[in-house]
Amino acid sequence: MKKIKLTINDREKEVIVDDNMVLLDLLRDDLKLTGAKQSCDRKGQCGACTVIVNKKATLSCLTKVSRLEGAKIITVEGLGTSENPHLLQKAFCLAGAIQCGFCTPGMIMAAKALLDENLNPTDEEIKYALRHNLCRCTGYKKIIEAVQLAASFMRGEINPDDITPKPTDPPRGVSHIRPSAMAKACGTANFTADIDMPGAAEIAMVLSPYSHAEIKGIDFSEAEKVHGWIGGMTAKDIKGTNRIKMAVEDRPLLCEDKVHCLGAPVAIIVAETREQALDAAAKVKVEYSILPTLSSPEEAMAEGAPRVHPDIPNICFEQPLIKGDIARGWKEATTVVEDRFVTQIVHQAPLEPENSVAFMEGEGEDAELVVIGRSINIHLHKANIQDALGFDSVRYEEAYSGGNFGQKLEITSEGFTAAAALHFNRAVRYTPSLYESMLISSKRHAYDMKFKLGANADGKIVALDMDLVADNGAYNSAGHKFILRALHMLTSAYYVPNIHVESKLVYTNNPYGSAARGAGPPQVHFALESAVEMLAKKCGIDPLEFRRINSLKTGQTKATGHVVVDVWPFPEQCKDMKPLWDRAKKERDAAENAAVKRGVGLGAAAFGIGFPGDQASSAVEIGEDDIITVYAAAADPGEGTDSMMIQLAGEVLGLPLDRIRVQLRSTGNTSPAGPASGSRVTLMIGGATVDALQKLRKAMDEAGGKTFKALTDAGKQTRCIGKRNTVDSAPLDPKTGQGPSPETDVLSIQLAEVEVDTTTGEVKIVKMSSTVDSGPIINPNNFTGQMEGGMDMGVGYALREIYVAGETKDWRTFKFPTFKTSFDSEVVTRETPRKEGTLGSTGVGEMAMLSTAPAVINAIEDACGVRITELPATPERVLAALKAAGKA
Amino acid sequence: MSELSANERLRERVFRTIAGQEVYCDWEGFLWDPDEWNEELAVAFAAESGIAELSEEQWQVIHFVRDYYENNLRAPLNKELRKGTGLSLLTLDAMFPEGLRLGARKVAGLPNPKVCT
Repeated sequence: MKKIKLTINDREKEVIVDDNMVLLDLLRDDLKLTGAKQSCDRKGQCGACTVIVNKKATLSCLTKVSRLEGAKIITVEGLGTSENPHLLQKAFCLAGAIQCGFCTPGMIMAAKALLDENLNPTDEEIKYALRHNLCRCTGYKKIIEAVQLAASFMRGEINPDDITPKPTDPPRGVSHIRPSAMAKACGTANFTADIDMPGAAEIAMVLSPYSHAEIKGIDFSEAEKVHGWIGGMTAKDIKGTNRIKMAVEDRPLLCEDKVHCLGAPVAIIVAETREQALDAAAKVKVEYSILPTLSSPEEAMAEGAPRVHPDIPNICFEQPLIKGDIARGWKEATTVVEDRFVTQIVHQAPLEPENSVAFMEGEGEDAELVVIGRSINIHLHKANIQDALGFDSVRYEEAYSGGNFGQKLEITSEGFTAAAALHFNRAVRYTPSLYESMLISSKRHAYDMKFKLGANADGKIVALDMDLVADNGAYNSAGHKFILRALHMLTSAYYVPNIHVESKLVYTNNPYGSAARGAGPPQVHFALESAVEMLAKKCGIDPLEFRRINSLKTGQTKATGHVVVDVWPFPEQCKDMKPLWDRAKKERDAAENAAVKRGVGLGAAAFGIGFPGDQASSAVEIGEDDIITVYAAAADPGEGTDSMMIQLAGEVLGLPLDRIRVQLRSTGNTSPAGPASGSRVTLMIGGATVDALQKLRKAMDEAGGKTFKALTDAGKQTRCIGKRNTVDSAPLDPKTGQGPSPETDVLSIQLAEVEVDTTTGEVKIVKMSSTVDSGPIINPNNFTGQMEGGMDMGVGYALREIYVAGETKDWRTFKFPTFKTSFDSEVVTRETPRKEGTLGSTGVGEMAMLSTAPAVINAIEDACGVRITELPATPERVLAALKAAGKA
Repeated sequence: MSELSANERLRERVFRTIAGQEVYCDWEGFLWDPDEWNEELAVAFAAESGIAELSEEQWQVIHFVRDYYENNLRAPLNKELRKGTGLSLLTLDAMFPEGLRLGARKVAGLPNPKVCT
């Protein structure tokens, strides 16, 4: 131990610390300064813990307190407050640089250290100064812009007040600051691990070290001897179904007699401290009988292969799709391309680990199990917990959530905390490591697609054939939904009259697949848009023109036979892309074409929103203080749902935005509205909210005033509920894959400009550009933020990211995008109102990465003449392809 | 009994004729569209759960749940249910063989939260 005197945020402190204690733990655990975050298991990989020590940006997770005698430390809490923020905090809010906000305090502190030294940084200097800081949401562009904006504030060139939108400014089409942004910038927004719960017990999990094995016995006897032991739980201790009730009930909360994948949860250990819980968990003896591991769909489909789930065949879902007359299509086709396209398992990679807390509130019949976590579907996850635990009185609250990207569609850690809180009647906290978080969460499905596409003599696509096998991993959960989603969007922006598809979803012992940004369509878009580019070139038609002439038109049918009734402004997208495409080709032709070769490629996208059978609800209420509150279970793990709701309310009610607030996070005061997935929040939950708002507006108009008093004096209601339902319909026909598709589509074309080093296989993104039309834009910063972050994620999917269970253990092995891999980007918008949209608007979050990977892959082929058909296009893979083609 | 095919295990909604009415239900028997609910359906759902005849007290609970839903678009919390009906949770639970959530709420035509579409 050592006595250390130091100054933190201008206050002198004297602490007696263990020699190994790091500054992050002192700040968070002892001083309750939770602005600095923990993501990377204290490996110094993410920068979320950055503070300033003696004027230098410092990773507090690697800094021993024992070496800080006399140090002057500034944390984000010492910078400013919501009432009196620092100029950097204002700049981050105004520039739209804050999405989930988990990385924000670290980014701001690294930026402060830079600007304290250099008030005129270049973009490259900013990238260098912030090089240790990771962000999954923004693609880094708006963060660089925020630092530049702060510098201009500090130089006195711009007054923040002059560019801050006012509550009385137009509600829509203006980048009003998100209500949650300043709390995130100041480090006062509570993410789950930041919640102060004195005396809470801590959880550690016993996870399976094997991918496939029978559980023969679990022995806590040695673990029980650990000081601080409270107890251990196995599946036998759970009173309910112990199953996570999604589309298929095949995932246990705790494994029963078998483990189905690496990291499958076997036992919950609860102790007084995290260290004690970890120590005890390490002492639990589990006897396994190892079974053969099915590591691919091929192995799982082989004759005689063991079943992953004894009572269900390994092929756990099949869906054909038959449209038109495929034989006639091939007869008409004069040009045909075909290939096999393979995509990888990917971690969605939200920066925040899978943290959760739970506790019992009230006594006797009032006792309520309260779970706080990272859900994007709080009412469903509440029901999951109720059924799995056999306990009805549950409240789920979403904390501030550090990213999502689909991962949080599935319940993980909150199942463990809920079970333990109920079983032991103790407040419990689970703060898993990053590696554990990766093990216990779902992943993007790997698809293997044999794909064939044909065009007639006019260059019109006339036939499409696909044989799709998807690796669902250990649990179906909702996996078949993602096959269906892929088929709904199979033909993207095009009209294709004749289609034949066979698709299979297969259990393996790999990590289980579930939602991941785009959720099914990005995989199929990779195959389709690669084939479209190949076909265009084979037909001798410019790829952009080829896409334009094949555009679907309103009144024509999608792959599912669904007749499109909404607008389809794809030809206009092609027109918007033309100048960018011509410029890119010109620059490519002018580039030096030696070992490093320049290439350009396109990828189009149509993303359907508003699936048949979708439902959402919402409520709005005016209080005696005349403040309007929107109550909607609309999770906001970073997209900006809060500002979207407030801006819609301002528009419908004709009120300044400071008269509106939102309550989005608790099952206690909202109604079921479905998940924050599928880019459906604006259309569905926003739509339900607008329905409620329009009722309130009508009441206000009839009352002749917009105050509580005016409404009550006129005998009008002060609370209105709203609904938004899509067409009420059965799923796709199981034999033909025909049936209704989503109500409306977001359309886009992306352009990748790349450089390929033919000596190393390295691919550098020079620029990504995207045209996009999703209807009127509610908040421009939120909108472009989704586009930029989506393209960044798409580039990672194309070039780097892959998840291998047991090998991918942290952000470095995952190849998380960095400032170094960030790139220039441009977004060209068009705002065609959608007939079915919410005030004409829809969502854009997932479409943003739908066609990035094929655009990049097409650009690589354009640059160096080799086509990569298996993602990711790593340097090794590109170099191997170059060598095989004799082009290295 | 023959094994269910993989596709048959999926939780999709089911078209049913119940109390002479054609309705969709989800995989657990919850009414798909809560607006289609009526008392004839409630009687039929109750019969399926083993309640031959709904008592006045059971109707009181069903109507409370139903009214609460129509005003709030969600099921009442247990504490709200207790307050609204004046009955203990134990009593409420015992009144419906499948319990509160799978019994009372199903009979009252409340929907199940959806997975995703």
